[in-house]
Amino acid sequence: MSETPVDPDEVRHTADLARIDLDEDEVERFAVQFADILSYFDALDDVPEVDAEADLVNVMRADEVRDGLSQEEALRNAPETEDGYFKGPSVS
Amino acid sequence: MTAQALQQRDLAVVIGLEVHVQLETDTKIFCGCSTESADDEAPNTRTCPVCLGLPGALPVLNEAAVEAAVKVGKALDADIAEETRFHRKNYYYPDLPKNFQITQYDAPICADGALEVSVEDDRREIGIGRAHLEEDPGSLQHEGGSIETADHTLVDYNRAGTPLMEIVTEPDFRGPGEVRAFLAKLEEVLEYLGVFDASRDGSLRIDANISLMPADEMADDGSVDEAALEAANRTEVKNISSHKGAEKALAYEVTRQKNAVERGREIEQETRHWDESRGITVSMRSKEEEKDYRYFREADLPPLQVADWKERIPIPELPDARRERFREAYGLDAEAAAKLTSTKEVADFFEDVADRFDAGLAATWVADDLLGELNYRDMTITDVSGRLDEFARLIELVDTDEITEKNAREVVLRTMLDEGHTPEEVVEREGLGKAGDDAVAAAVEAAIEENPDAVEDYHDGEGGALNFLVGQVMSKTGGSADPGTVNGLLRERLDE
Repeated sequence: MSETPVDPDEVRHTADLARIDLDEDEVERFAVQFADILSYFDALDDVPEVDAEADLVNVMRADEVRDGLSQEEALRNAPETEDGYFKGPSVS
Repeated sequence: MTAQALQQRDLAVVIGLEVHVQLETDTKIFCGCSTESADDEAPNTRTCPVCLGLPGALPVLNEAAVEAAVKVGKALDADIAEETRFHRKNYYYPDLPKNFQITQYDAPICADGALEVSVEDDRREIGIGRAHLEEDPGSLQHEGGSIETADHTLVDYNRAGTPLMEIVTEPDFRGPGEVRAFLAKLEEVLEYLGVFDASRDGSLRIDANISLMPADEMADDGSVDEAALEAANRTEVKNISSHKGAEKALAYEVTRQKNAVERGREIEQETRHWDESRGITVSMRSKEEEKDYRYFREADLPPLQVADWKERIPIPELPDARRERFREAYGLDAEAAAKLTSTKEVADFFEDVADRFDAGLAATWVADDLLGELNYRDMTITDVSGRLDEFARLIELVDTDEITEKNAREVVLRTMLDEGHTPEEVVEREGLGKAGDDAVAAAVEAAIEENPDAVEDYHDGEGGALNFLVGQVMSKTGGSADPGTVNGLLRERLDE
């Protein structure tokens, strides 16, 4: 458990970016949890440094059309559809 | 600088562009879905787990998109990075099913290029800071009203994953006219490269950054001090989709900012949306700053090392070089050379006929007659791509004296365009074949026999008499004789 929670404004901003509405209780709870999650990354300090070597370069495919999904398959997991479109709430 | 301080000084306009161009490939940038869109296609019929962002799907880069990017870099005289890689740009909006866009960030494929543009009589070099590859998002329809009042959104991912190149210029433009000239030139170059199709809907999209600066802070050569530019508030205008639109949107924005300054108001640093139908820019709420996109490495795509492709991949002769060569090789004036290189297809066609027939004749026929008649009908050469051999045969008919230039121009070409016939069909139907030597000779004899008065007038030295006789011969041959030849034949006979 971390002693210093993350600034609640940071939590609100992050929620905004993710288009999630949080009430004040949730902001407080998440501020503590954010701090916990961030503290897990301290574990990386104990990991010895190694040279990362990219062994792969220039992985490409030829410009050839391959069969994809039918409209029905594409929409199969969508909670709501209309006339072949995915349907969602209004966005601006 | 405060609004009051700006108010007292002459203002100069500084503009930089981000131009998104759609690269012509058969498949999307990270999957094998087709990019071939039809106007009436059903939504969500060109998708797969990769471009729908389904869990576990892995992107694989399209080699043709990289080749196209290298060609663009080469044409813009840019450096191709020794190593280039992809990043994820994170934002939550339904046009991106993955919640991030794969793009390039700190290692773009092209950097440090330039494009030379003529603006009126000036040559201007516009710096290209960078150009990078990225994927296009899907398309949204805001149903039940405008973008602000819609009650739901319909999403089509057919376009998602189409390869785009974002070309970012330096802030080198000093007015909307220069922007328009640059975009026209860029389109021309991209079409010459064969990596771009201007007729495709949405193939060119432009965001423009525009600031006003005190004119005396600009150096004599028009260069701008970076700190001074940073100090000026700028607006970013989005949603511009053509070079004409860019000129209009920026002219509007220049006026709007100047008016604000004149009234002593601050210019707000903001993003504005160009509303083409209303001809105005509108303030857009924009919450994200660059750090909010949380760019990070796209671990699913290994880096690219394609700097050596610059040598390996050839590009065609570009418009400026071709224009110069046409002027020298075919003795064209500047205007004709410009017309004849306006698109690669026109230039290729001209070069083909100029090499086979008289170059001067070919230039007149392609630049003035063919392009003129097409333009008159609101058509371009792409509308008659499949019939270029027919137009070449028409020029051949003129070149070999089979029909008169007048008939070719006024009857055959127009009928070909209006009715879709071949030149031979029109010549046959209208009986326009130049009269054979025998027929002309017979008509000359007949005209002399039937008009003794005119013959007498000719011998008395009356100038009009010869013209009258030429007219008689022309009418007997249905206009198919060459007036110069008739003139010569008549003189020969009458002066015997």
